[in-house]
Amino acid sequence: MLEIKDLSVQYEDSDFEALSSIDLHFQKGEFVCILGKSGAGKSTLIRCINGLQDPTSGTVYWKDQPLSSLSEEDLRKIRREMGMIFQHFNLIPRLTVLQNVLTGLFGYRSTYKNIIGLFNKEEINHAKKVIADVGLTDQMYRKVEKLSGGQKQRVGIARALLQHPKAFLGDEPVSSLDPGTASHIFRLIQKMHNRHQLLTIINVHDVNLAKRFATRIIALKNGKVIFDDHPDSFQDEEFHLTYYETAKQP
Amino acid sequence: MWFKSRNIITVIILGVLIYFSMELTEFNLSKFRDFRNMVDFLGEWFPMDYAKLPHMLEDSLETLGMAFLGSLFGLIVALPLSFVAARNTSPSGFFYHLSRVLLSFVRSIPEIVFGLILLTALGLGPFPAVLAIMFHNIGVLGKLISELIEASDSGPQEAMKAVGAKKGFAYLFSILPQIWPNVLSHYFYRFEVAIRTSLILGFIGGGGIGQRLFNDFKTFQYSSVSLDVLIIMVIVIIVDLFGSFVRNKVI
Repeated sequence: MLEIKDLSVQYEDSDFEALSSIDLHFQKGEFVCILGKSGAGKSTLIRCINGLQDPTSGTVYWKDQPLSSLSEEDLRKIRREMGMIFQHFNLIPRLTVLQNVLTGLFGYRSTYKNIIGLFNKEEINHAKKVIADVGLTDQMYRKVEKLSGGQKQRVGIARALLQHPKAFLGDEPVSSLDPGTASHIFRLIQKMHNRHQLLTIINVHDVNLAKRFATRIIALKNGKVIFDDHPDSFQDEEFHLTYYETAKQP
Repeated sequence: MWFKSRNIITVIILGVLIYFSMELTEFNLSKFRDFRNMVDFLGEWFPMDYAKLPHMLEDSLETLGMAFLGSLFGLIVALPLSFVAARNTSPSGFFYHLSRVLLSFVRSIPEIVFGLILLTALGLGPFPAVLAIMFHNIGVLGKLISELIEASDSGPQEAMKAVGAKKGFAYLFSILPQIWPNVLSHYFYRFEVAIRTSLILGFIGGGGIGQRLFNDFKTFQYSSVSLDVLIIMVIVIIVDLFGSFVRNKVI
């Protein structure tokens, strides 16, 4: 479903590669957690998958279409199949929960329709149903800046769900939440993942969360994949290799 | 640690600048020995003459209309222009620089110059004054709003790109709600400034309470002048209060 071939990214202001020659293959239904220190390339990898970041070399294939050779118009069509949630939620301030969730449809609508801001009954009912799914029905008409962090991320998830996504991407979606809330958000993502049969790829700092929810763990270090296997195989030694410079002392 | 040589030099330079500026502007407090003249003059302002009050109020409405139209049309033109003149939303480097140059060009021309030029084509009256205020405000609001756009949070923009929205539309929809309260507060400040500007434009025949003030002054009707000034003060205060009321509603 998603294939990454020989992907490298080098930022202009940096001496070393953020990602170097990554090869990965993802199937529908996988719940993948990406681990790694800050600066290991997790965020860059996620952003390459939906084309927010252009690779220096290599290609990302989504359903056998290479992203790099697509027109802006076709790239938009692929982006709307991938719901993305962010560490800082990236909601539009001063708009209500419902309005923010409805922006998830912007990829499907003409500019003209968007500017008028008209949504038909069907679209609004769908948005309301999704808001109910993430448990925010009683907050629907509140402005998003009044919500707690966990509630904001639920809005982010609802917005992504409204896109009718085939994949779910998360760029450290729980890193600014407390552990209890983070666990709730992960459970919600898992529920939606199972219900809609998605491919889910999430960056996370909390190894325990990754081991609890993921069906596959990928560990990045200095822009390279150093672990790619079932969560049960990610033990103390792998943890040390991922997060420390030297191997674990016996 | 206050007495670093750099600080001392700064103080000396400031002192020199103050001295020469005072020389140039004939700044001399001893001239206030003729202070009595001013007191006598202001004494002539009172009691106020209410006879022309209805005409004054009529002219005040004209002034308000001038300031409102001029600043609002300025805002309407400046808003789309400022997206072109902001580094993060400009369609290209060429348009960015072109719009920047254009904005600072119209900003550098004072309203009164626009007014004097337009008078030749449009004749006396408030219409050229409205256009003069509009042109200047396009420059000022365009600069201020483009700076708000540049300072806006890029997170929502990225989210709109990620849902597959079109680029220009993503900019508009994610930035406008963020900057809207500040746009309004800039607008109301410019509205207030436009009232004061329209007074000056009244002096050159732009109509409104400004022209009445000028005429009353030139014909030595000081008891009317005082009422003109009072009315102007009240208008400015009301617009200021109304502006903060609207802003609080939005936030």
